[in-house]
Amino acid sequence: MKTSKFWVFVFVGPSLFLLLIFSIVPIFASFLLSLTNFNVYALVDWSRAKFIGFENFKDLFRDELFWKAFFNTLYCLSIALPVTTVLALLNAVLLNRKDTKMKNLFKVCFFLPFVTNTVAIAIVWSWIFNPHYGLMNWVLGLFGIRGPQWLSDPKWAMLAIIVFVVWRGLGYNTLLFLAGLQNIPQELYEAAELDGANAWQKFLYVTLPMLRPTTVFVTTMMIIGYLQLFEEPYMLTQGGPMNATLSIVLYLYRQGFKFFKLGYASSIAVVLFLLIISLTVLRLRLSRE
Amino acid sequence: MKRFFCQLLSHAVLVFFSLSMVIPFAWMLSTSFKKPHEIFVFPPRWIPREPTLKNYLDLFRAVNFSRPFFNTLIVAVSITVLSVLLASTAGYAFSKFRFKGRDKIFLLVLATIMVPGQMTLIPVFLIVKQLGMLNSYAGLIVPGVASAFNIFFMRQYMLSIPNELIEAARIDGAREDYVFFKIVLPLSRPAIATIAIFTFTGSWNSFLWPLVVAQDERYYTLPVAVSVLAGQYSENLGLQMAGSCVVILPILVFFILTQKYFMKGIAPLTGLKY
Amino acid sequence: MRKLMIFLYLFLFALVALSQQRVLQIWAMGEEAKKLNVMAEKFVQENPNVRVEIQAIPWSAAYDKLLTGIAGGQLPDLAQMGTTWMAPFGAIGAFEELTPYLAKSFIKKEMFFDGSWQTVTMNGGVYGIPWYVDVRVMFYRTDILKEVGYERAPQTWDELYDVAKKLKARGEGYYALSLLFTGVFGNEFMPFVWQAGGKILDEKGNVRVTDPEFVQAIEFYARFFWEELAPTAGGNLFQDFAKGTVPIFFSGPWMVRMIDEQTPEVKGKWSVALMPKKVKRTSFVGGCNWVIFKNSKNKDLAWKFIEFMTRPENQIEWYKLVSNLPAVVEAWNFPELANDPMMKVFRAQLEDAMSPPNVPQWEEIATAISRRVEEVIFKKRTPQEAANMLKRDIEKIVRK
Repeated sequence: MKTSKFWVFVFVGPSLFLLLIFSIVPIFASFLLSLTNFNVYALVDWSRAKFIGFENFKDLFRDELFWKAFFNTLYCLSIALPVTTVLALLNAVLLNRKDTKMKNLFKVCFFLPFVTNTVAIAIVWSWIFNPHYGLMNWVLGLFGIRGPQWLSDPKWAMLAIIVFVVWRGLGYNTLLFLAGLQNIPQELYEAAELDGANAWQKFLYVTLPMLRPTTVFVTTMMIIGYLQLFEEPYMLTQGGPMNATLSIVLYLYRQGFKFFKLGYASSIAVVLFLLIISLTVLRLRLSRE
Repeated sequence: MKRFFCQLLSHAVLVFFSLSMVIPFAWMLSTSFKKPHEIFVFPPRWIPREPTLKNYLDLFRAVNFSRPFFNTLIVAVSITVLSVLLASTAGYAFSKFRFKGRDKIFLLVLATIMVPGQMTLIPVFLIVKQLGMLNSYAGLIVPGVASAFNIFFMRQYMLSIPNELIEAARIDGAREDYVFFKIVLPLSRPAIATIAIFTFTGSWNSFLWPLVVAQDERYYTLPVAVSVLAGQYSENLGLQMAGSCVVILPILVFFILTQKYFMKGIAPLTGLKY
Repeated sequence: MRKLMIFLYLFLFALVALSQQRVLQIWAMGEEAKKLNVMAEKFVQENPNVRVEIQAIPWSAAYDKLLTGIAGGQLPDLAQMGTTWMAPFGAIGAFEELTPYLAKSFIKKEMFFDGSWQTVTMNGGVYGIPWYVDVRVMFYRTDILKEVGYERAPQTWDELYDVAKKLKARGEGYYALSLLFTGVFGNEFMPFVWQAGGKILDEKGNVRVTDPEFVQAIEFYARFFWEELAPTAGGNLFQDFAKGTVPIFFSGPWMVRMIDEQTPEVKGKWSVALMPKKVKRTSFVGGCNWVIFKNSKNKDLAWKFIEFMTRPENQIEWYKLVSNLPAVVEAWNFPELANDPMMKVFRAQLEDAMSPPNVPQWEEIATAISRRVEEVIFKKRTPQEAANMLKRDIEKIVRK
């Protein structure tokens, strides 16, 4: 029995209307903008924007700063993703153990970094990485290691950002894994024990396979999230030193909102979109095997 | 004996990671009570020898943090209430209504989640400008209300509500809005709580959009105010820390109070099959 | 009944009076915004039936706000405009051309410092009036420099390099001077180019960054980092200056008051000096100008306010309020400035100070310059290579 048009309109209408204006139309507009040379003069007078076809993309292809941003972002992803996943899984497993005390306290601690505002906590982290007065080098000093300049050193700056990024995401992902772990039926473990499996084998043959949906979800969201890396480099280094921490979105922001080359910035956005889609699809395809 | 050792190791690891989560906050809090000459000392000092409330006082007197605080509160609450309302109605429709094109439209909604915010940032900015909503509460709130993620989440959750309940009510002659408010909504409490927490947190902490929409301090939200603070008073770290504390504290309290509901709500997320 | 009539009359009177009142809207930034209403009150006393509304905008948001204001047509009558922003906004056509106003006024080009007037002229027209200037000079610890044998500040590039080496020799953790090396630091670096006699663009618009003078400046700047004479990590400028780990830095007049406020313990142990000389001793002059927007409906009133702020006695008044240096040369004859030994240095420096080219793409150019110089600092390129790359960068930017 079909629902009356009236109710469909009332229940779905507002959401769809807003999504249309603020999501769907902008997506198409973005594709369009990337084909123009919309810049600061056009902001005042739209007729000053000219259609230039794929010029922006050609320029982007030859833009070495864009490629730097591209590889920086992938570099961050390639380290942050496995590190976060492994650490989150580890902590989730530990938290899930029957004899772990103060579970709630741990959970709250873990979630702290995620609920807080990146901008506010970034200030603390820029201090933590201060080579002379910061916590990081002080701790390293306790072990007799002379810490690097971190955010002022092109070789180390991105790693510092990655540490910050992992710190931010660890708690949230730990809790997701925890929820997934708690959904695994006990009988499976009991059956494995009857077959003589030890702890490690139980983990490999029961836990990991049963955790599949969760792992897929967690890693997919991380891919989508890390590719959009922005707030961390924006607050800590503004992309420096020597553009070592320039991320794709940071470059987009610079082109679009500092130089007001909105057409060029839109082409960066389109490329990013394609990158996210392809990596996500790849991830999901891999998980089917 | 081995059992005890395992337990010790396990707790040690958890304590290590928990501490590393908490330490930056502890530092933030400690520094917000320090005078300038106590901040840049080596080795780092945790408890200030001459604690002071000056940073907090300056924050609300000289710098005017109260307006951004107020703004952020208004914006976050508005977005949360409206978004939850819209998402639950749409979620209900997508899960329990029958109409032509229902699944195709839902797929379209789903597709928009894949799109990064930065891609639509520029066109949304231009659209908002054309609508005359720049530098206003409308500009801060309206674009954030429709959330494809929230709609998706509610729909998934409501799928698990038994159809018999709903059909029974319909047969009894109940209108859809009655069914929704009296039956479906009460049953969806964990999901509502979850998206409410996500949405509130997200809009409280949102930085890029308010940065771009607000053109003067009247419409700054807290994250924007903090970054402006960092820019203007870059040498006064104590003041910045106090600002950060003010931004973070409310959301922390909010989370600690509601974390029970949150844990219940994210379970369904992880059961998604791909 | 009578009471009602009286009330009505008063009400009508107020309405009429208010409508006669003209409102001048001004946008101001930073510290200035906070103190400007003091001057506005004086202005209103001289001009009854005028109200002045000042909107305060933090510097970090000002660029965007101005841009969207222009795009959306929401602009005030008058605004404070940073010198390096004159060109981008001027190119959009937002400012009123002021030559007709100058013809009927006491304000004349000769009243201002050359470097300052440079920033208000574009394409042969005058688009603003200088309000205040700032110029960078060398700040140094007199006591510490004495310890290494310098009774007065280094006067030339060679002396600067020499004193730097001696200061570094004090030991581990000691540096000589603070220089920016990351982000957009064009304003910190350009003075060295000018001191060497170099430039970015010449009169015909050709890019001259591969000239030997420019390359020399890159090398000189980078060398301070190569030999660890300048730190490559952040600290806190005030604390480092007070502790003596970084006893020299370059900055503007606002630091004078801030040093006293932040680190009173160094009082009497520091001073300022002119930039070191290579061919010239040029420094960077910035500051703010007044601009009137084309769409304003109160242009005459706005001009009156500009005239008010340009009077030497009000320039010195403003100096006393905020420590901004007057753009009007005559104001420097007042005792507060004439008799202050530190201010004398700023005055002298203003005679030899330049500002970057007044082109709309300065933001992009400054970013490109910073990027290439950074590459030299981190030894990714030689100075000549960087200059060659920079030439290509800038040619691409100005071509569009």
